[in-house]
Amino acid sequence: MGPQSEPLAAESTGAPAAHGTSCPSCGADVGESDRFCEACRYDLVAGVATVAPARPGPRWLTSTGAPNACGACGGTAFGPEGYCDTCGQRRPAGRDHSELDLGAVAAVSDIGHRHRHNEDAVAIGLLPGALAAVVCDGVSSSTRPDTASYPAVDAAAEALLAALSGGDGPEPALEAAARAAQAAAALAGGAGPGGNPPSCTFVAGVVTADSVSVGWVGDSRAYWLPDRDAEPAVLTTDDSLAGRLAATGVPVAEVPQGATAGALVRWLGADAQDTAPHLVTIRPTGPGRLLVCSDGLFRYRPLPTELAAATPAGTPIDTARGLVALALNAGGQDNVTVAVLPYPAIERSEERPG
Amino acid sequence: MSEPAAAFTAEVYQNQYLPAGGDVVDAVITVTATGTGLHTGGAPTAAEVIMIDCSGSMANPPTKLAEAKKACATAIDTLRDGVAFAIIAGRHDAQMVFPPDSTLAPATPANKEAAKAAVQRLLAAGGTAIGEWLGLANRVFSGHPAEVKHAIMLTDGRNQHETPAQLAATLSNCEGRFICDSRGVGADWVANELRSVASTLLGTADGLEDPSELPAAFQAMTQAAMGKAIAEASLRVWSPAGATVRFVKQAFPQVEDLTGRRTDLSARVGEYPTGAWGAESRDYHISIQVPVGTVGEEVLAARVSLVSGDSVLAQSLVLATWTDDTALSTKINQRVAHYTGQAELASAIQEGLAARDAGDVEKATSKLGRAVQLAEESGHTDTAKLLGRVVEVIDAPTGTIRLKPKVAGVDAELANVRSVKTIRVKKSEEG
Repeated sequence: MGPQSEPLAAESTGAPAAHGTSCPSCGADVGESDRFCEACRYDLVAGVATVAPARPGPRWLTSTGAPNACGACGGTAFGPEGYCDTCGQRRPAGRDHSELDLGAVAAVSDIGHRHRHNEDAVAIGLLPGALAAVVCDGVSSSTRPDTASYPAVDAAAEALLAALSGGDGPEPALEAAARAAQAAAALAGGAGPGGNPPSCTFVAGVVTADSVSVGWVGDSRAYWLPDRDAEPAVLTTDDSLAGRLAATGVPVAEVPQGATAGALVRWLGADAQDTAPHLVTIRPTGPGRLLVCSDGLFRYRPLPTELAAATPAGTPIDTARGLVALALNAGGQDNVTVAVLPYPAIERSEERPG
Repeated sequence: MSEPAAAFTAEVYQNQYLPAGGDVVDAVITVTATGTGLHTGGAPTAAEVIMIDCSGSMANPPTKLAEAKKACATAIDTLRDGVAFAIIAGRHDAQMVFPPDSTLAPATPANKEAAKAAVQRLLAAGGTAIGEWLGLANRVFSGHPAEVKHAIMLTDGRNQHETPAQLAATLSNCEGRFICDSRGVGADWVANELRSVASTLLGTADGLEDPSELPAAFQAMTQAAMGKAIAEASLRVWSPAGATVRFVKQAFPQVEDLTGRRTDLSARVGEYPTGAWGAESRDYHISIQVPVGTVGEEVLAARVSLVSGDSVLAQSLVLATWTDDTALSTKINQRVAHYTGQAELASAIQEGLAARDAGDVEKATSKLGRAVQLAEESGHTDTAKLLGRVVEVIDAPTGTIRLKPKVAGVDAELANVRSVKTIRVKKSEEG
């Protein structure tokens, strides 16, 4: 069994939670919207102490967490079924904007300018010698996509970290993560998943001291951006007609565009048939960064060279913020999410910024 | 309030998908109380008042009063031991038959015998003032602690010894105080009067063609009253800010428009009375106008629950999701369509008969033709048969009819009083 892991507090710009800025249990400083006290693991939302995990163990953060206020009317009361007591709007599973920062690895997710909900979910994890990130993008044409993407991300992150800390290699761990994500996404369909159950994509990356591995189902991507002396590359192949054509060597300019060409051929959810992840591992010779992202980002810089040129230097969180800002400035048509994982992972990467 | 002695379920039938710009959400909610625990204690206490028409016309033919007495005796025998009861004789005024004073007596074997003996001595003489009868029943019930207060009102004639306004005023006094089933016997009762009594007092209305049907009818009504597991329940409807409840109708077993009977609990929540519940199933058709949402958005358009006191017996959610997929948004929910048709059928019959009475042949032919067509389409054979007694059907599918020149008055009244009775959509027809 892997060590117990619970998501740590995620920073968020959503409406503040009911608790203040100090933990009612141990008095440590906490963020207003934190879910757990990082010092003592007190559940700040439920107001109860949680079991403290063995340290050092894997630590992870997730963008999962229903907003405290209704995105449509600002109401703060929700019925037991998750609809706003004032305007009836369904309460989404995640916040409009999340910033996850574990120092060595970071991610930012934003609703963008056009969508009503942020259906992109992201989780990042940190353990000795490895960094991990998972992004699931809710398929907008499916029913309540966020009810698939957020549980899928959480299940995947937990499974991924448990497998890695249990000694599995990155690829088997990514396979376990995809299985867990599929199970969670399928559950979102409920007892009677209709014709169009909640669905999402899946992409996860693991960076170790000597390898970069990614696994995916769908059209979210992972990019390898070397710091120098090498060509940036997209490690994933979109599970769409266009993506498959491009993967066979058809020049990008000749790959058909439009809804049909871009339509997903694989996804996670109750109606998904083929959910085993594609896997790719590279062993870069020099340092670089792995970006794990949703199409809300790469639609504006699809080519690896373009994306590399647009990716700012700095700490992982600064890089993630910069990339999300780029997508928002370019139009923010879709939800935008990116996780930044520097390579190589440091064997003992426990230090975090205050 | 004792624990509910029945298990309730609520199911919703709707197409939750609206096209871009769509703002009306229709749903049918089926509320079913199953017999589980219905008779295992916890049944509410009950009181029963029977109003029997003793006007002069009850003697013509004499079987009317004789069968009415028999029916009354059967009802008395059907009362659970200990249920409080009273019998009222209705004429141009109302008089206590049993017990002698204006109160309720417990249904002991001795009291039942005494009541039956008193009923046997009744004579037919005098007029008809239904409001007087209901008024006395209301006084008899008032102050009694019984949870289910149920009355049966039998008349054979028109309410001619008081004005419609007097009856309306009495009904308004009685509303919410007791439940009343109204029945007509003979050839001279008026469907609109029976329906307005039943509608206001949350009971049923019907006419009996043959006096010999009375004992069975009285027994059924009394049994149903004794079988009530919940004395008083309301349909509670939450709707979002900016929404309008277009209507709330009971759609099965009979059409009853509850829209105007809303009691506001808050800006978002209103309650509609549904009366007492036994082991039974009812359908409600609710229509909500919601603020237009954007494509992809999902809102709760209504939360519909059956409540009794503070306990929620059953609940279901009416959702709205906007989509640009026309295959989804144009799909018609069969139950919603069916009950929309059944409600139209009821009004077509009522309006057609009213036009016929007023001598407006054109309107009567058009409305009753539409009624024949709707009855045919929905497979409502009972209503089709009743309409066949009033009109000559030339072609049912197109609603082509001719008014019959000579129609027995009671046939038109039967078609009217039963116009509100609906049938359920056949399972096999649901898509």
